Amino acid sequence: MKTCTGVILVLFCIAPVGAFAQEKPFVQARGSVVPVPLPPGGPAPRMSDGHVDLSGVWFPGPTGKANAWSVLPEQRAKEDPIPFQPWAEAKYKSFSRLDLELGSANVNCTPVGTPGMFTDNAYVHQIDTKPGQFIHLIENNNRWRVVHTDGRPHKKPDDLEPLFNGDETARWEGDTLVIDSISIDERTWIKDGWFHSDQLHVIERLRRPSLNYLEYQYTIEDPKVLTKPWTSAWATLSLGHEDLTENFCTRNENVDQLKKLADQQKETRP
Amino acid sequence: MRATAGITFCLLVLLASSPAMAHHAFAVEFDASKCSDIIGTLTKVAYENPHAYVFVNGKNPAGETVEMTFQLSSTSNLKRGGATFAALNGSVNKEVTVRGCLSRNGTDNRYAASFIKLADGTIQRVGQDVEGIFGTKLWR
Repeated sequence: MKTCTGVILVLFCIAPVGAFAQEKPFVQARGSVVPVPLPPGGPAPRMSDGHVDLSGVWFPGPTGKANAWSVLPEQRAKEDPIPFQPWAEAKYKSFSRLDLELGSANVNCTPVGTPGMFTDNAYVHQIDTKPGQFIHLIENNNRWRVVHTDGRPHKKPDDLEPLFNGDETARWEGDTLVIDSISIDERTWIKDGWFHSDQLHVIERLRRPSLNYLEYQYTIEDPKVLTKPWTSAWATLSLGHEDLTENFCTRNENVDQLKKLADQQKETRP
Repeated sequence: MRATAGITFCLLVLLASSPAMAHHAFAVEFDASKCSDIIGTLTKVAYENPHAYVFVNGKNPAGETVEMTFQLSSTSNLKRGGATFAALNGSVNKEVTVRGCLSRNGTDNRYAASFIKLADGTIQRVGQDVEGIFGTKLWR
């Protein structure tokens, strides 16, 4: 019985891949990744002030390494629909896939902003926390931000300026680090074409439930675009043991190629 | 109990796969229904971001030798998959086979590559699996 259950489980695990293997030519290329989750690894470490230490090199997903070439398809977490105001919903739905590409920070090599360092970034993070400070580096185009974690207030309204990462401050709520950002440049997207106003308020939450795992959630408040606040599902990142690599955007051919395609589509449109 | 643990493991494995947005969506710029194997001489490796490129002198359908451009993934993904600059550069001036899918905008001889067979016979994954051709046998 146990053997039977095991066989069924193995078949269940490999079924989607097996289906592909039957229909397509098979290539055993180096570089593919089997997604095996890390164990919890023990309790999260703590800093000298008693707060959880979030430091580490963190890969999206649970494997502790890059998953870009996973052999299994992506499974997205269930989340509530974005509560757009009607005019914003119409604008958002009007974007074609080509529009989304041409407006993407990653295609244009422009700043991804907040919360884009998590929501619009498939690459590895390095986080360093010490009492009073959160340092966040991402490999994707060598972006970074540094946030005070002592709960200090935002700058006074007259001192604010639009910034891609916004005016950021953070505080600890138990073992969760809460990063609060306002005054975010309107040229950024939350993710995938989700535009925002100058009233955007982003609340990000980070927690480390065990040594090997980091979890991230964010809430969006934007009274000019949304009918109510929206909160994401918790995303999982896992502890890697590799250095970040240099990744500057120095040879971007995609914008011109996509613009050429857009021009062709305009010409063929009735 | 063991079955529950097994199912949990399977679900974790399935959830584990976050094949990550790349720099951008492949399917907008390239056509996954127009992929082929191109054999030619690797002339140059541009190991840069957001995408690396390799250039291959190969024969077009008319039998003429032309320079073909292949867009690869980012250097971050390439390095972590084993397609280092040294690994690719070692095949310069040698024959390689590249699996490439044509650009949608009609630019001559411009492809996105999913894998390359290097001069030493190594097959190295260098891009997205748009055809679903990478199988269950894993090399690591």
